[in-house]
Amino acid sequence: MTVSMVRALNDGLRRALETDPSVLLIGEDIGRLGGVFRVTDGLRKDFGADRVMDSPLGEAGIVGTAVGLALRGYRPVCEIQFDGFTFPAVNQIVTQLAKMRHRSGGALALPVVVRMPYGGGIGSIEHHSESPETYFAHTAGLKVVTCATPHDAYWMIQAAIRSEDPTVFLEPKRRYWVKGEVDERDDLPLEKARVVRDGTDLTLIGYGPSVATCLTVADQCAERGRSVEVVDLRSLSPLDSDTLVGSVRRTGRAVIVHEASLSHGVGAEVAARVQDGAFYLLEAPVARVTGYDTPYPPSRLEQTWLPGVQRVLAAVDRTFSH
Amino acid sequence: MTIPSLAGEPARILNSDGTLAESPEHGVTPGEVDLTALYRNLVLARRLDTEAIALQRQGELGLWPSLRGQEAAQVGAAHALAEQDMVFPTYREHGVALCRGIAPEALFGVFRGTTLGGWDSRAARFHLYTLVIGAQTLHAVGYAMGVVRDGAVGNGDPSRDTAVLAFLGDGALSEGETNEAFVWAAAQELPVVFFCQNNQWAISAPYTTQSRVPAAQRAAGFGFPGVRVDGNDVLACFAATRDALNRARTGGGPTLIEAVTYRVNAHTTADDAGRYRDDEETRRWAALDPIERLHAHLRSTEALDHVEREADAFAERLRVACRALPEPDPDGSFLHTYAEPDAELARQLDDYRGGAA
Amino acid sequence: MSQPRQFLLPDVGEGLTEAEILRWSVKPGEAVEVNQILVEIETAKAAVELPSPFAGVVAALHVAEGETAEVGTPLITIDTGSDEPTREAEPAALLVGYGPPPEDEPRAPAMPSTVDSRPLAKPPVRKLAKDLGVDLARLSPTGPHGTISRADVQAAATPPESPHETRIPVRGVRKHMAAAMVASAFTAPHVTEFLAVDVTQTLSLLETIRARREFRDVRVTPLAMVARALTLALRTTPEANATWDEAAQEIVVKHQVNLGIAAATDRGLVVPVIRDAGRLSLRELADAITQLASDARGGRTSPSAMTGGTVTITNVGVFGVDAGTPILNPGETAILAVGAIRRMPWVVTGPDGAERIEPRSVTQLALSFDHRVLDGAQGSRLLADIGDVLSTPGLALL
Repeated sequence: MTVSMVRALNDGLRRALETDPSVLLIGEDIGRLGGVFRVTDGLRKDFGADRVMDSPLGEAGIVGTAVGLALRGYRPVCEIQFDGFTFPAVNQIVTQLAKMRHRSGGALALPVVVRMPYGGGIGSIEHHSESPETYFAHTAGLKVVTCATPHDAYWMIQAAIRSEDPTVFLEPKRRYWVKGEVDERDDLPLEKARVVRDGTDLTLIGYGPSVATCLTVADQCAERGRSVEVVDLRSLSPLDSDTLVGSVRRTGRAVIVHEASLSHGVGAEVAARVQDGAFYLLEAPVARVTGYDTPYPPSRLEQTWLPGVQRVLAAVDRTFSH
Repeated sequence: MTIPSLAGEPARILNSDGTLAESPEHGVTPGEVDLTALYRNLVLARRLDTEAIALQRQGELGLWPSLRGQEAAQVGAAHALAEQDMVFPTYREHGVALCRGIAPEALFGVFRGTTLGGWDSRAARFHLYTLVIGAQTLHAVGYAMGVVRDGAVGNGDPSRDTAVLAFLGDGALSEGETNEAFVWAAAQELPVVFFCQNNQWAISAPYTTQSRVPAAQRAAGFGFPGVRVDGNDVLACFAATRDALNRARTGGGPTLIEAVTYRVNAHTTADDAGRYRDDEETRRWAALDPIERLHAHLRSTEALDHVEREADAFAERLRVACRALPEPDPDGSFLHTYAEPDAELARQLDDYRGGAA
Repeated sequence: MSQPRQFLLPDVGEGLTEAEILRWSVKPGEAVEVNQILVEIETAKAAVELPSPFAGVVAALHVAEGETAEVGTPLITIDTGSDEPTREAEPAALLVGYGPPPEDEPRAPAMPSTVDSRPLAKPPVRKLAKDLGVDLARLSPTGPHGTISRADVQAAATPPESPHETRIPVRGVRKHMAAAMVASAFTAPHVTEFLAVDVTQTLSLLETIRARREFRDVRVTPLAMVARALTLALRTTPEANATWDEAAQEIVVKHQVNLGIAAATDRGLVVPVIRDAGRLSLRELADAITQLASDARGGRTSPSAMTGGTVTITNVGVFGVDAGTPILNPGETAILAVGAIRRMPWVVTGPDGAERIEPRSVTQLALSFDHRVLDGAQGSRLLADIGDVLSTPGLALL
């Protein structure tokens, strides 16, 4: 079945709503409008306003009430409309969602999912192209995952909803409308990375929107006689060290690609784990191709600010020059 | 520092001298509530508080937020709860905890550093203490949304219809999340009662820093009733809460109760109230003491003496139990961050157990 | 009985370190109750009264009014005089005791997996290897955790010239040859027998052959003749075309003669093999030898061409040498060394039966054989048969 990521998410949410009566969705404009990206289109009509709830405008309220609903036995799936509007909710996410299990010595689980579109490359205005994943990945008690394809979108959203841990679910908005094949089987656990392309000479590590970029780069490298492996992290917290380090142990070279700013980003953690686990097998330093250490620029400049194919190719070349 | 001028006196049943008010707004029918039981809980709540402060001064607790002066607001409200109702406290509702059947020493754990929680919140229907100001109001609202979806509102079944009681202080009224909670509760007509103990101080900030109008008045702006009661009158607090909870559980929507009371001690044992308020104010409020007025109303009886003796034994048990609180399991953090530790966390636990940095 | 208990100055305000004693409310000898106020202290934050944790009689005050004490200092001793079940007051605010950590266990270093197919080396060592032109894949690691060390790289690199000696690294073909020689020499008991052969007739036959039309494009050398003689002799002593199977305790006689011709190349000794040489005509044999030699000189001998040999000839004559004690190719039973063909004085018996000395073309043959497989008679017969054919080529007609 070939569908867009939006459709895959919609189907996944629908399936979750159908199979578990304790699942409900809360967010701004998700009911009548079906979501500003139509991810929840049609769900209110089929499941009712109580289960697909148009919330008041307030992200703290969306996540804070989700905590209360979870304490009552529900499985709320919150939508934050845009990555840049996450921040009012961060208090509830960090001080309450992430910590409740720990605070209660394991007695109180909060199986809450917080979904949001993230990333840039769509020519948008300020606050609509952010990559806030590191704030959440650095928060103990949260799981953070991101899908790169419709197949993963469909299966991962369901797995996140079933998880007993609060999960931040990041959807790459620039890939929302790209179509892909959704297999009938869920083939990979939520916290595992996926080797999306085998290779022998270098490993490209990406997640969310950068996976497609990495695959394009790998194709171009193949034309030049270089065999490049591409790993889609899928889960940012926890990180699947076995898969990502295992790949670099085989190839000896790693380049990490993400839209979020360079310093203190996910790439830094991946690089630390790679050098720890593959030190004696590294042919070159681990490289990172990322957004710069500035706020996201005006959209006219975003193509050069984002880690595009040319910048990644240049990094690959530099890696091979060692 | 003066008490801000109020639009009329707060509602009252029991005057400060122990006599009953002429025609109280809310009524308590004779026999509706056991006054001796109320008195006992007031005394035990105060005694718990007193012992806790002493224990802190003896180094057994790192910190203690005292409820002295607020016993009536808490015990009165707690007596109105149905068993199936859910409570979301702040971190000062030790009196409510006692009434909900939580072992008093369980409250000490958070302040002794042996736990971040301390009791089975589900069984007691009394959530763990929330230290982030105002955050629990949204939890209460979300819980109430769950109650509605469970169909446990407006069935006319007082043993099943469920209400949620959320406590907050006057300082929390300024937090954005508290105001968001009011918005949600009002728009959805949720079965939640917001009980604000306006003890006049948020650490060193007097109430006027938070608002120019009485707290109860703000509810109207959000679209639901606000009730202002004398927070040192255990009967008025009981009655107002009873009415609000009933309104909530029958589908009438939220209520904001402002219990006008006073924080007799400092914010916590680490605070020095002398730096920002004068003794004259504290003396003035001492004349309005919540326990004394009920004692005066009940007059000295054998039953009341028995309560005093019970309080002594209670205190001795507390002192022993506090010192006997178990040390936390060192592995606990690692085992309870997620449902299951992932590989990296398991590796870190190994590190930690081995004493390695 | 008296049970003196000390009350240590606690941290009363979240991280305070000291306090001043303002005013004692009790004195030694006085009876005190639990929670009775003992003293008023002043901290950085506030003035605080401290209640007694025990009931009893004040034994002594330890800090005077006006003095400052650090958190944890004993303030007062009280004789409790009873089995007070409560523990002594802990002084510090840090009541959370995690206890001493368990005995340090040595943490095993993260061992790299042994299934990696690429060499392990630290980045600086890799750079050194690259700068020195050393291929890490060919080194044996001696560093920790199975890694190639800096010393390994340096040992492998070409060192600078010394006036007194030149060091040549043992690599590649030479390394392989050395290993083969050692394996063979110290496994098979070698016997070498020598035979001087008058090959004058063979040389003259060679002239005749070369003149023939079908041999015009073929280069036939004495070596080809020797090869032919060897293959013929092996028909009489087939056990010499065999291998000693130690594990099975069997001698495996090969039906096919795969003749190896030892060749000296720039890279060292190589022994390409002519398969089924026994069935080849002289022309085919000569062709094969020519091709083989050319490939070897050009470094084009494929690895498969160097396997499967059953017997070997080594031509030491091209170096102007007469004879040697050749070492068997591992797995083979016989190796024949052919020396230079020299003009030598030879005793020739004339048709009249008289002996005279004539200059003849003479070569030395040296046959080494594996004395486990062949006994002296067999080896001698093989050598004699080769010599017979070379001295009297017409015997090949038989």
